[in-house]
Amino acid sequence: MKKKTAWLGLCGLLLAGALPAAQPAEWKMDPAGSKLEFVATFEKTPAPGVFKEFDARLRFDPEQPAGGSLDVTVKVTSADMSIPDVNKEIRGKDWFDYAGFPQAEFRSTDLRRAQGNRYVARGTLSLKGAKQAVEVPFTWTGDAERATMEGELTLKRGAFGIGAGEWAATSVIGADVKVKFTVKLRKAG
Amino acid sequence: MLRNTTDSWGAGAKFFHWLMAALIVFQIMLGVMAVTWPVSPTKLDLFVWHKSFGVLILTLAALRLLWRFANPTPELPDGMAAWERAAARVSHFLLYLLMIALPVTGWIINSAANIPFRVFWLVPLPPVVAPDKALADLFAQVHGGLALALVVVLVAHIGAALRHHFIKHDKVLVRMLPGG
Repeated sequence: MKKKTAWLGLCGLLLAGALPAAQPAEWKMDPAGSKLEFVATFEKTPAPGVFKEFDARLRFDPEQPAGGSLDVTVKVTSADMSIPDVNKEIRGKDWFDYAGFPQAEFRSTDLRRAQGNRYVARGTLSLKGAKQAVEVPFTWTGDAERATMEGELTLKRGAFGIGAGEWAATSVIGADVKVKFTVKLRKAG
Repeated sequence: MLRNTTDSWGAGAKFFHWLMAALIVFQIMLGVMAVTWPVSPTKLDLFVWHKSFGVLILTLAALRLLWRFANPTPELPDGMAAWERAAARVSHFLLYLLMIALPVTGWIINSAANIPFRVFWLVPLPPVVAPDKALADLFAQVHGGLALALVVVLVAHIGAALRHHFIKHDKVLVRMLPGG
């Protein structure tokens, strides 16, 4: 009887001590104030757009980023480049192919601190059926309850087959697409 | 002579006339090609060329008007009927008007359609109106109508010049030629 109680007590202590360290805080995105933008180039001129719908889920402890994870899903069909003719074109097979690939995903494989409040999430971006390893650098500002992640990276549209056929040439629509994000987060639970 | 006199065109006026004549003919062809070409990188390039030439023509038209006001205008030959003088005045006025109105309506379309554009891929052109799809569609119609009007006035202009030369046997056409 005494032995059993001692065991239970020991297990309780272990659980209480071990669980918080192994489970970094969960954060949920607040869509208000969060933004996912991209800037392509059109005839050597910046052509901006946004994905109006996306969601980020983060398990993250800024002091111990290594155990965390970042998962982002983007509703590709919510793209808006604010030019009606262009918005009509990008739905098609040569560009985003809304019918075939309505969603894009980023899944991190590891998170690390670069310096100060700058971090890097390394992972895989699945977009239009292609999977590519990408690094997503971001800054982290906030407190224990609310935080903001911000960052930008440059992708090659060709790596994802965005702009097929004669659009693969990069003289008219540039090869690089800059992606910029601001993600407002609240601690979950 | 660089400047006009009361009965001859100077080198300045001839330069503007023939340079703009060539640009305008080329510009009309570019516009038709850009509109009718299937959606492709080539179509986008044709539009950049068309818009860039439009900005060039608008600039030249402004300079040309300044030059015209700063110079005497050679008089029409004696013996022209009142209706012929009126037709000459109206058609020249329309040509200048269209040289300004076509680029300006094009600029409005580009602004309203919110399409990123740099003149000759170099200089960003500031928008003149806020993005507005309905306005872009309306001005596309106006621009096309004005282009058609320009073709009609150009045909009349060229026809009248040939009539002066071959039927009236006066010097109206010859005095605008580079050697005339």
